[in-house]
Parts: sequence; structure tokens; C-alpha cells
Amino acid sequence: MTAGWPTADPDPVRRLHALAAGVRNAHVTEGVVDAPIDVVWPLVADLEGEFGKIVTDMARVRVISRDGDRVEASAHSRFGPRARFSGVLRPGWCWLQSRFLLVGIAAADRGDGRTTVAFTGGLRLPGRAALVPVGVRSEGRRNLARLAARSQAHTAAER
Amino acid sequence: MAEPDPPASGGPAAGDRAATARLVRAAQRGDTLAMNDLLDELAPFVGRICAPIALDDGPDAAQEALTVVFRSLRGLKEPAALYGWVRTIAAREAVRVARRAARAVPAELAELPAPGDPQLAADIRDVLARLSPEHRAVLVLRDLEGLDERTAAERLGLRVGTVKSRLHRARDTFRKAWSA
Repeated sequence: MTAGWPTADPDPVRRLHALAAGVRNAHVTEGVVDAPIDVVWPLVADLEGEFGKIVTDMARVRVISRDGDRVEASAHSRFGPRARFSGVLRPGWCWLQSRFLLVGIAAADRGDGRTTVAFTGGLRLPGRAALVPVGVRSEGRRNLARLAARSQAHTAAER
Repeated sequence: MAEPDPPASGGPAAGDRAATARLVRAAQRGDTLAMNDLLDELAPFVGRICAPIALDDGPDAAQEALTVVFRSLRGLKEPAALYGWVRTIAAREAVRVARRAARAVPAELAELPAPGDPQLAADIRDVLARLSPEHRAVLVLRDLEGLDERTAAERLGLRVGTVKSRLHRARDTFRKAWSA
């Protein structure tokens, strides 16, 4: 019945904007990283390595289990002791929550060798789809800047 | 606002509807991972509704529709009504985005092909481009989602009489325009 009808698939960055709309006080920081997605995304996906250098809300991340794109991890948070995170990690999409923290990252190929990246998240009102409205914008900007810097460093190292 | 609908083309099968309802309740309670899973489930469905209405602005429309869905999800009282509720939001947002893009052809030139019209099957995108966003929305809700034209018009906030009379008048005009 749907054969031949046009369809639209909102890319991960668009999806992140939509999902963040359901999280009170969430802000989405979006920017363009001057590196291709196949350089940018492996940095985000490296949960036990690069991830903690980009998203400094989470430190010393340890992956507990993976099942398809599902991931369970533990990490130290700058807001408190080690916490357990659960979520989804797949190409272009990362969504992790603990009781006290939420991290969402999306990336989309711009088709010109650059990557659109979006961050959201912050300190979570425990167990709720709501964030403490402090630092949600500045942390996103810092995450984006750190990812851009790490991407460019990796691009330079590969040359 | 939203009543249970028959299964839509993109809606879950009966066996999955209970799982979807559980997902909705978990998302409404604030589980953002359940919201993530709901997004995965709804995004293709919303994309199928938005693209034929908003055409090149389909991704914009899908994003805006999903934004409304997640911003309003707590207000959905009956999880079984999810797909009907999302369908209406998607169609309305797609019309709004298409009109904003100012690519709408005048409504009086917009005519709908009959259900199952072979000319529709021949080149859907070309047919859609001839219609106003409102008529594309009626066509999508009718042909893709199985609603009758009256219900489709009501969901979109269109005057049913206007839509019905245009539909009756439309078919010959559509064929003439097509074969010209």
C-alpha cells in the first residue's frame, strides 16, 4: 500500500531535537564539526576512552554489558559517586541515562566532509524526564568544542 | 482529542500494542530510555505521514511533528490512542510546514484522484505536487491510513462539506489535467 509514496527519515540530529523537547529544561547545542562522521563518531562511541574526555560529566566509564545497540555502563559523575547508566549506542546516536544524569548525542553526515553534532543532557531530577536548569547550555557548548578539538587532532594525526 | 484507531499502516500489530502501551506509560513516568524507544518506533510512522504532505520539507515536518508528540506526551490519557493521536499531529504539522514553505498551489486547483486510481499509482510524487497541502493530507490519511474522507477532514480541522464537494468535483478535472 505504501509502495511508491515518498517517505522521510528524520536524521539523528533532528531526532535529538524532538526527544529533548520531552525533557523539561533540556537544551540542544548543535554545531558543525570540521571532520567527517567516520572520524567524529568513533570518538563518541569509545565509551571507555575518548567519551569521558568529551563528556566530562562522566568519568572513568566502564562498559558492563552490550546487547545489540543496548549498553549498560558505570561511570563516575562530577555530581556524585559512581552510577549505573543504561541506554543506546549506535552510529550517530547515543542516549544514556542514570538516575541523576542524562546524556544525549547525535551526529549526521553533512555530505561535505563535515558533521553536524548535537548534544543535550545534564543533571537529572531523579528518575524524571526533567533536568536541573543549571549549566545545560554551557555544558553543551563545552562538549561540542571538546569533540571538535579531539576530531581535528585525530584528523591531523592520520595525515 | 484522541480515540483508539484501527491499526494504521505503520502501527503495531495487535500483539505489539500492549508493549507499545507499556512504553508510553514508562515514557510518561519520566523514563527517558522509554522515550528513546518510543521515538524509534514512531519516527518511521511519522516520516510516512509527513513526506507525502510536506514533500521536500518532509524531514522538517517529521522533526516538528515528533517535537510536538514528545512535548505533549504526558497529556495523552489513553496509550491505546497513541497512533491515532500521532497521525493527527503529523498530518497537521506537515500541512503547517508545507504552507509555511509557500509552495502551496491554490486550493481551488487541488483535486484528489479517486482511491485506487491507476494514475495515482503511476507517479505519486507528481500527483502530490499538483495538490494543496490540505488535500495531500486528506489523500494520505485516506489512502495510506485508511480513514474515510470525512474523518480525515475532521482530523485536519478542514470543513467537511468543502472537502467532500471538491472531491466529487475533482476527479474529472484531475483526469483531464493528467492526460493534457
